[in-house]
Amino acid sequence: MTRRRAALAALAAVVAVLAAYPAFASGYGVRATLQVFMWIVLASSWNLISGLTGYVSFGHVAFFGAGAYAGAILVAKAGWPWLPAALAGGVAAVLLALVIGYPCLRLRGPYFAIAMLGLNEVLRALVSYFEGLTGGGNGLSLPTLDATIPIYYAMGASAAMVTLVTHAIITSRFGLRLMTIREDEVAAEAMGIDTGRHKLYAFLLSAAGPGIAGALTARDQGYIEPISVFPLATTITMIVMVLFGGKGTVWGPVLGAVVLFVAQEVVWTRYPYVHPLLFGAIIVAVVLLMPRGVLGILQIRYRLPRTI
Amino acid sequence: MNVHITPTMLGQVVISGILSGALYAMVALGLALIFGVMRIINVAHGPLLMLGAYTTYFLYSALGINPYLTVPVSMLVLFVVGVLLERTLVFRVVDAPELSSLLLTFGISIALVNLAQLLFTSDLRAVEYLTGSWVVGPFALSKSRLVAFVFAGALTGLAFLFLGWTKLGKAIRATSQSREVAMVCGINVQRIHLITFGLAAALAAAGGALIAVIVAIQPEMGQIWTFKSFLVIVLGGAGNYPGALLGGVLLGLIEQVASLFLTTQLSEVVAYVLLVVILLVQPTGLLGGRQT
Amino acid sequence: MTTPVLEIERLRKRFGGVIAVDDVSLRLEAGRIYGLIGPNGSGKTTLFNCITGVERRDGGRVRVSGERVDGLRPWEIAQKGVGRTFQVIRVFPELSALENLLVVTRGHLGGARTRALELLRFVKLEGLRDEYAGNLSYGQQKLLEFVRVLMRDPTLILLDEPAAGVNRTLLNDLLDAVRQLRDRGKTILLVEHDMKVVMGLCETVFVLDHGEKIAEGAPGIIQTDERVIEAYFGR
Repeated sequence: MTRRRAALAALAAVVAVLAAYPAFASGYGVRATLQVFMWIVLASSWNLISGLTGYVSFGHVAFFGAGAYAGAILVAKAGWPWLPAALAGGVAAVLLALVIGYPCLRLRGPYFAIAMLGLNEVLRALVSYFEGLTGGGNGLSLPTLDATIPIYYAMGASAAMVTLVTHAIITSRFGLRLMTIREDEVAAEAMGIDTGRHKLYAFLLSAAGPGIAGALTARDQGYIEPISVFPLATTITMIVMVLFGGKGTVWGPVLGAVVLFVAQEVVWTRYPYVHPLLFGAIIVAVVLLMPRGVLGILQIRYRLPRTI
Repeated sequence: MNVHITPTMLGQVVISGILSGALYAMVALGLALIFGVMRIINVAHGPLLMLGAYTTYFLYSALGINPYLTVPVSMLVLFVVGVLLERTLVFRVVDAPELSSLLLTFGISIALVNLAQLLFTSDLRAVEYLTGSWVVGPFALSKSRLVAFVFAGALTGLAFLFLGWTKLGKAIRATSQSREVAMVCGINVQRIHLITFGLAAALAAAGGALIAVIVAIQPEMGQIWTFKSFLVIVLGGAGNYPGALLGGVLLGLIEQVASLFLTTQLSEVVAYVLLVVILLVQPTGLLGGRQT
Repeated sequence: MTTPVLEIERLRKRFGGVIAVDDVSLRLEAGRIYGLIGPNGSGKTTLFNCITGVERRDGGRVRVSGERVDGLRPWEIAQKGVGRTFQVIRVFPELSALENLLVVTRGHLGGARTRALELLRFVKLEGLRDEYAGNLSYGQQKLLEFVRVLMRDPTLILLDEPAAGVNRTLLNDLLDAVRQLRDRGKTILLVEHDMKVVMGLCETVFVLDHGEKIAEGAPGIIQTDERVIEAYFGR
């Protein structure tokens, strides 16, 4: 129990420092931290569907992009304030997940994975086609607004929210049932678990965070275009972060997001072409050598509970 | 959308659809083989096709070799690449949960694409060899597409002859029906996996080599081919090798018909919507079931 | 006549050209232990899979306590009170022993926990409750899978080769447990190769050969049935 209390105290301290951070930080510091928050949202969300149920989403950035466009259109064309627009971005992503998830999740693994691989291309094509609404390839500019600090808090709150939801799920029977799908879907069904509905719920939850993060990012950057919000690289990065940190855990994706973002900023920006190559290599290495990720190794070595 | 479709246009669409369909069928057959024999969806299938395209491009531009003569060379090179990948990495996840094999081949695919970007840059490159069209009656037949059709048809035919009539081919089919039975019959399943993976990479490479003559190539060209090959398999019925032929031609026709009514961008959407609808209606693919 | 717990009418299943289950009809009454035997490849596991919805049947009807279940999804059939084990052990390896049991329950968590701990004690696994199921020995996993079935308190229990690979002491515990379940009114259908187990435990035995039911009756009668001897030993 004391260990638990110490961990909670440390967590509270981190939250307090992050909350106070914009008061004394440089503009760069705030922006970089905002990015870390975004990656925590994305990585933890991917973990909810793929880390827990084992259904690999190869196109998760689609929800980020859908949220970005929904939010940006509401701000630019309908004059919504950014905060409700961000929530609408989340809703749009969840609706998209419903349309894709309902048919694709009734099937086993690979169908879903490949359907998600194609989704990204399709959304990009659709956005380019509906030029009137989206600006097509020319992109969409939002009215100028300096809201980086409020957006910092909104993104931070989203990251905290996704992490809390992940914790609540992993410590619940709902979460255990999601894991049985990963462990042995046939046995899970034979034990009376309605796997289809569980997968769909996990998938809908996993779309909400990226949708909100997309809309917030669009507002913060003031300009979006198809290439900037639907890059395959973003999906790759979230997958690498989760695998590196430890899939199926609460803090693995957070750890992966922080470590890999810092590494990216410090080292890899100097070698821009090498780092995506390294990401591929990291995925291969983690799958073969440490499938539980860094946190998984720590859990085994120090006999930590699985629910961290 | 007021499009007047003349019989000529329709004929042109059918011709173009069948021409690209043969190419789809050949490439998808590779993916289907790996799926059937190893129960793995090889996400790196498209990037292997891309490597085949670059092999042909460099043989043509640096050594001036006729691009069609490079097809067997590209196939051989990628056969070796495929065998090496299987021997070093992929064999480790054959019996692992799906998650592992999907992620592993995804990692390989990213590494291959970015390696290509690093070595070849992301500039568009074209093999300008056989351009223009032959005009037959009211129809225009793109020369490079027609030759690609002939090659793809011949190579796919050879692949089926190999699977149907040689001892090795029969062993591959036996393994895809039941690994246990294959083992009992004294088939070296590890070796079959190795050869299947190499063969699939070679089929992808042939596709890449032929495509390089048709359109400009770049490192990211592959991903869409993984998706399209998968779509062909779903159309034809997963694990059903002859189904890949039908699926390929079907996808070619559908894309061409869609392009009559829609912009190129949207015709890709049609293929996707089709995938989702098929999965909703007939989860095992149009031809259903596993029959080899 | 009371409603049978399981009633199968002319169930048929084919794989390509092979008929795995050929017009099989069975009737299982409450509170009895039934055996399902037959040579390898005679369709026993396929029959289990068709009853539990893992495999889709090609024809025939399946009723559980009078209610049609054929065509339902496996989890729906499980929720109608059918529990099963698998020929190859299928515990959830990266869940703890306790979680393997908790995960299949709904409703009040406290009650489920009490019941799970009770069942773990019943098979002497309470000391390993927090161990990953994948780290347990073969026999322990087998027991865990067995009590996992009981968590939902099913009326019909299908056991696929419960005795295979289990040592003698463990086996006796397992057989005692099965008898206790029967005494509490459960119906059990088991596939088993160990004839001593089948003859000692079952009240009625069904014999399958090439997907067809060739005999049905008390163990003593079955043993002397000519068609059964022929199926096992050839002409």
